[in-house]
Amino acid sequence: MEIKLNSRIVRLAETIMKSIRNSQIGLKLVLSVVAFMFLAPLLWVLATSIKTPGDIINGLGAGNWIPHPVTFSNYVQLLKNAVEFPIWRWTFNSVFISLSVTLLVVTVDALAAFAYSRLQWKGRDRIFAILIGTMLVPGQVLLIPMYLLIRDLHWFDTYWALIVPAGANAFGVFLLRQFFMEIPTELEDAARLDGCGPLGILRHVVLPLSKSALATLGIFTFMGAWNAFEGPLIFTDSLNMRTLPIGITVFQSHYDTEYGPLMAAAALAAIPVTVAFLLFQKHIIRGISLDGLAGR
Amino acid sequence: MSVSTNVRNVTSTINRQERTKSRDWIGWLFALPHFLLFFVFLLVPTVYGFFISLHQWHVLAKVHPFVGLSNYKAALTDDLFWLAFRNTVYFTLLVVPAGNIISLLLALGLSKLRSNDTIFKVSFYLPTIISIAVVAVLWKWLYNTEVGLFNIYLMKAVDGLAHIGIHIPFDNIPWLSDPHWSMPSIAIMTIWWGAGGNMILYLAGLKNIPNEYYEAAKLDGATEWRQFWSITWPLLRRMTLFCLVFSILGAFQVFGQSYVLYAGGSGPGRSALTLVLYLYQQGFSQYQIGYGTAIAYLLFAIVSILTVGQFLLFKHGNKA
Repeated sequence: MEIKLNSRIVRLAETIMKSIRNSQIGLKLVLSVVAFMFLAPLLWVLATSIKTPGDIINGLGAGNWIPHPVTFSNYVQLLKNAVEFPIWRWTFNSVFISLSVTLLVVTVDALAAFAYSRLQWKGRDRIFAILIGTMLVPGQVLLIPMYLLIRDLHWFDTYWALIVPAGANAFGVFLLRQFFMEIPTELEDAARLDGCGPLGILRHVVLPLSKSALATLGIFTFMGAWNAFEGPLIFTDSLNMRTLPIGITVFQSHYDTEYGPLMAAAALAAIPVTVAFLLFQKHIIRGISLDGLAGR
Repeated sequence: MSVSTNVRNVTSTINRQERTKSRDWIGWLFALPHFLLFFVFLLVPTVYGFFISLHQWHVLAKVHPFVGLSNYKAALTDDLFWLAFRNTVYFTLLVVPAGNIISLLLALGLSKLRSNDTIFKVSFYLPTIISIAVVAVLWKWLYNTEVGLFNIYLMKAVDGLAHIGIHIPFDNIPWLSDPHWSMPSIAIMTIWWGAGGNMILYLAGLKNIPNEYYEAAKLDGATEWRQFWSITWPLLRRMTLFCLVFSILGAFQVFGQSYVLYAGGSGPGRSALTLVLYLYQQGFSQYQIGYGTAIAYLLFAIVSILTVGQFLLFKHGNKA
């Protein structure tokens, strides 16, 4: 009887050990701690942005994280200061520019990728090789000539300067072309029999089958445009034409130690991309993976 | 059935012939919007930039005398250019190896995980999607010598150790105000900001390795350590090269970090002066755009040599 009980206990202990090993608690614990380290600075922004000034000063010595009481006065103060720091205008600029860039890039890149993958024409492969060849040119090399170009086009300090040049990038053409090439020719032929021209084939066959690739390119472009730094810094100079990321550095230079409003501004600049990322994270992560595997 | 298939084949053959004959202009038409933008805003500036670099060119001056390569010569004898170069190399050495090791370790951890890894992937990747402006504004506070979280927590840790009898002398670390600390501080911030991107790439590479290899190795009694060096590492080589090339490419272009942390300046003792910051200062503060573009093209040359060099090195290594 006793032996039986003992062996039962041993067996129970074994199952527990096994289930602990199977549940990978150690690994999950390590990953959770590291994940918290990655998220902590961002949580600190969010927590500070809803603290009262007194709470922030008290928190400085102790590093306390939980806002008590919760207040939105930092955001209110930020939005009230609109004369000195037109944060509404910056937000509008960021939204308008990012959406326009995304629309432009997805449109011209889809048309071009279609031409480079599904249409036959003289010089096609040679021109595509030039597009690929320039993908390694560091963007910073172009800052000064672009500045002169934009000045001579009379685009300095306008939306044009921040929207149109973004269409030059060849990355999207490359990405979409990869997808378009995998669509079977039979579908194209069938559509042609139904009387579709090239535009019809693009609209009714290629685009509907490439929704996820278009979404990937769209969200990448949007995030890139939202976070763009050098372009808005150099191609605009009036307070009203700044975007949120540049605006926040302007804000910082005046309110270096007013952490409440500063972190509220940081949160305003970070939250929209974060939400977009969380909504589309599957597309984004798959997009990067494909990009890397294509590079192998 | 077979008749209709034949008809279809014939029609499609005819269509294809037509296509190759008369549709050259249609292909062009579709490619044209992107090509125009590409031509005007990428190809032209690339060539124009080189043209500018051959002139003594002040933004406000009416005439720009041709000076040949003397801007390049001037840069190569300019102490500040070399300082910016050394700082950029130092930054690259701090960020690329450590950053890639961290990304690889994170990816290895996630690849071992048998349950859903989305929440971890999202957490590691999240900093990457935040603008460098926001990142630097936040970290400037975290790094603050008196009221930054880093020093507060380090102080707490030292106090905690003192309670159990281990006394470590500790002064607040001047993360951003000391010339020796500024570049390591910028590097730590950059690794936090960018590790998620390469992590996703390494993870994709790891998932591409067939599981059978590991199972066979396990049957032979190979340890995890052994499995990593004889299976994972060699098969991940191409992805490692890809990540290294693009990490170095990115590291050499470091700009926003210094610009935001030091409000356009060069940091204590010019310790945060990087190549792109220097070309920015020359071009947009001194208005010497001829000299500025010469620096840009030197940077371009350095990056190209490094990229080609790495590809050759790996190609050679693969043969051996």
